[in-house]
Amino acid sequence: MSRTAKHTTTTGRVMRAAAMAAGLLLAVTACAGGGAAGEGPGEAGDPVAGGDLTVLLDAGFSGDWPTGFDPATSNGVGANLGQNAAIFGGLFTLETNDAGEGEIVPNQAESYEFSDDGLVLTIKLREGIEFSDGTPLNAEAVVWNWVRIFSWGSTSAPTIRLDDTRPAPEYSPEFMESLTNALPDDITEEEVNSRLSSIQAVDEYTVDIALTVVNGAFVNTFPTSPLNNIASPAAYAEQGHEQFKLTPVGAGPFTVVNNTLSDRLDLTRNDAYFKEGLPYLDNLSFQAVAGGQVGFQALQAGQGDVFEGLSDTTLIEQAGNTPGFQAVPGPATSPYVIQLNTRQAPFDDKRAREAIYYATNFEAINEGLFGGQAEMSQSFTASGGLFHMPEIEGYRTYDLEKAKALVEELGGLTVELGTTDITTARSVTTALQTQWQEAGIDVTIDAKPLGDVITKFTTGDWESMLQTAGAWDPSAGIGVQVRFGSSSPFSGAPLPEGASSGEEAVQLGLTSELDDLLAASVATIDPEERAAAYEAIATYISDEAYAPFGTAFTPSQIVRDGVHGPGLDEPIPALSVNQGVLYDRVWRAQ
Amino acid sequence: MTSSVTNAPAAVDGAEHATLLQRLTTAPVLRIIVKRLLIAIPLLFVVSVLVFMLLEAMPGDPAQNAAGMDASPEQVEALRAQMGLDRPAPERYFSWLFGFFTGDLGTSIVSGQTVSSMLVTRLPVTLEIVFLAFVVSIGIAIPAALLAARKPGGVFDRVISFLAMTLLAVPNYVMALLLVLVFSVGLRMLPAIGYVPFMTNPIGNLASVTLPVLALGLPLACFYARFLRGDLVEQVTRTDYIDTARAKGVGPWRALWMHAFRNSSFGLLTLVGLNVGTLIGGTVIIEQIFQMPGLGMMMLQGAMSLDLAVVQMCVFIFAATAVIANLVVDVLYAVLDPRIRYGNH
Repeated sequence: MSRTAKHTTTTGRVMRAAAMAAGLLLAVTACAGGGAAGEGPGEAGDPVAGGDLTVLLDAGFSGDWPTGFDPATSNGVGANLGQNAAIFGGLFTLETNDAGEGEIVPNQAESYEFSDDGLVLTIKLREGIEFSDGTPLNAEAVVWNWVRIFSWGSTSAPTIRLDDTRPAPEYSPEFMESLTNALPDDITEEEVNSRLSSIQAVDEYTVDIALTVVNGAFVNTFPTSPLNNIASPAAYAEQGHEQFKLTPVGAGPFTVVNNTLSDRLDLTRNDAYFKEGLPYLDNLSFQAVAGGQVGFQALQAGQGDVFEGLSDTTLIEQAGNTPGFQAVPGPATSPYVIQLNTRQAPFDDKRAREAIYYATNFEAINEGLFGGQAEMSQSFTASGGLFHMPEIEGYRTYDLEKAKALVEELGGLTVELGTTDITTARSVTTALQTQWQEAGIDVTIDAKPLGDVITKFTTGDWESMLQTAGAWDPSAGIGVQVRFGSSSPFSGAPLPEGASSGEEAVQLGLTSELDDLLAASVATIDPEERAAAYEAIATYISDEAYAPFGTAFTPSQIVRDGVHGPGLDEPIPALSVNQGVLYDRVWRAQ
Repeated sequence: MTSSVTNAPAAVDGAEHATLLQRLTTAPVLRIIVKRLLIAIPLLFVVSVLVFMLLEAMPGDPAQNAAGMDASPEQVEALRAQMGLDRPAPERYFSWLFGFFTGDLGTSIVSGQTVSSMLVTRLPVTLEIVFLAFVVSIGIAIPAALLAARKPGGVFDRVISFLAMTLLAVPNYVMALLLVLVFSVGLRMLPAIGYVPFMTNPIGNLASVTLPVLALGLPLACFYARFLRGDLVEQVTRTDYIDTARAKGVGPWRALWMHAFRNSSFGLLTLVGLNVGTLIGGTVIIEQIFQMPGLGMMMLQGAMSLDLAVVQMCVFIFAATAVIANLVVDVLYAVLDPRIRYGNH
């Protein structure tokens, strides 16, 4: 996922216009609105059990769950992190360790290990975990879920290459019937067997998955992947496909009471949750709202306790200054990047790309738009992410005179700068337009809804795009491969010699130098080797002037005083866009 | 009745004494209904074609949009085939049309739900909001206009005109945010978001729809009030029949209400008919702001995800509602005004 909303709504634009009008009144009522009485930030104390919590979510992103929560058919697993964590708990969680860094922690899984060649991941499950319907979460349940996930065609399913050359173990007729009944009608027996070959139950609590190529980022992707969310096969058989999307049964801290798609999700405590004393809350609800402005007003009106992932900097500041609430920024992971399309003019000329580097002053943008709060980056991760490199040797920084000279040498430079039509991105592109114009570059901005931006990328007919790159793991989600791999439809990096398109490059087996560097970054499970590979990638991108990087900004959690928990007032690095919240440990002062 | 006032245009005919049912079943009114229906059917057909063409012309690839950025080209292609987008546009249109007449309104490519099942849950929400918004707008506009027209240039007239002008200048989405700030954030009287079904909790339902209804209805009330006030003043100051009524001893309030308003109501009726489309269009934004799970929100979500079956049906329903509303207004004209019923005009 990019930092952009899943669907940027017309209303969102309207909301922003309205926000200007309502700003004054908001400032006045902010004092009157207040929050529930409770202790202020920094006075959390010991967790207490009980209470209800309502979480507001932006309808344009995590508040949008039109495909429901069946892990095999949901298309929004990467966006709906909180809801999925609350229902399913997850095999692994991303948590913040004592050093303040993000770390993958086995949750329903007890441990994991890769084979020596790095091609087989074996996961040991905790024993004794039950789904909320009383059936066991065991290796067969994982196999049942994973085969479904790779069979239903959900766009959330990971794009990994499974090794189907191993002999598949024998399963009971009951298991096979349950699995077959839960697969799409057009799945062939051959396909099922192929997946059962790749994904195997080794014993009752051990499962493994075989890949054809090493994927060093594989485990790090779990918290944003449907593979993490294990649902009850028995409940599926009982409910049927359509109902299960609405009321799936997992082994997470909460069970579904009511689910109105993309509107409201009501959950209640799972008394059979495997962690003793958890969850703290009795009831948890997720309510979609039309953007930050409405969400913050609803919070003030007492209709919610948390707003997940507020990205409007003005509203974040207002929220932080409103008594009864705190605005907690997440650790920065994905910086803005100006992708330059090297496959067509003007950026097929390195001088034009260099001119953009020299004309771009992200420091000034950080001061002007983000109050100096955003982190600066010269590569595809910020300090909250893995393999962070604060500075890249030889990186071209702001130098107006050099930019002017290059533009003059080129005989002028005209650029279309595309972006996804959300407030922050638009503000950044407007600032860039001003800066670039100072260097003599003629700039037009083309802001479009996300769907149109995707289409624009896939046509290949674009010049420059302001997007975000990287994630907590640079090779997860909309990572460095998606932005810079020659076969990715969202890349502007050069095609391999002899290929006229990314697809052709794949067919002919051609790769560019950058492709090889990118492949090396995931071709090992050794963190040190991965770090070296990412440094080489960042240096290569910088040397070739493919894409200036800038401010790494993360949305904030707006939390009512008295509400505490990992991912809320205890920041966790954002996996891709928003940070995940571990709702089993969220509590509120009574 | 007003039959004593001999030159009031709509009040002279003996047919005024007939019941509404009788009037509806008179041959002239039936003729008008049939005639309007005959016009409405091809009109709706043209609307359906236009909607389809507009959606075809929309930028973006529905399959790519539905698949998201993470999807592989193979996944996008599979989805395109699943959505039927690999078929020619005319084939898809006639397939949709055939489905419409056979009760199959299509399936949402995003949620996988049938459009008909989505409509069943969402249409009542929108109808409730729209109906109440009309009630509120008329309920506010008529007394306000009468009060203002009672003494043109007087204190009430000036205050009401000022308020109407001011509120008219406020777009309904801004109105919505302001209402939330005052009644939800400030006074904590009404919920800022969410919808409570009437069958679940009637009081809660009323509370949940109050602000959306006001946000939709208040600008409309101002519009109606301004129009009605102007028309009433015109009637009172420039028409002989009011002078005659007054000369016969009819008081100013009675002259306004029983005589002038009766004639002005025809103009108001026209406006109401014309505004059905505007009002329903307004629900697209208002339902989103207040998180009301109605047709407006369904359409917006559909449009953002290029969910063609959903958008197509929503736009068609919106258009059909406007056409039907105008048809109803035409029929009411005929029922209320004998000149139209009998072709005098």
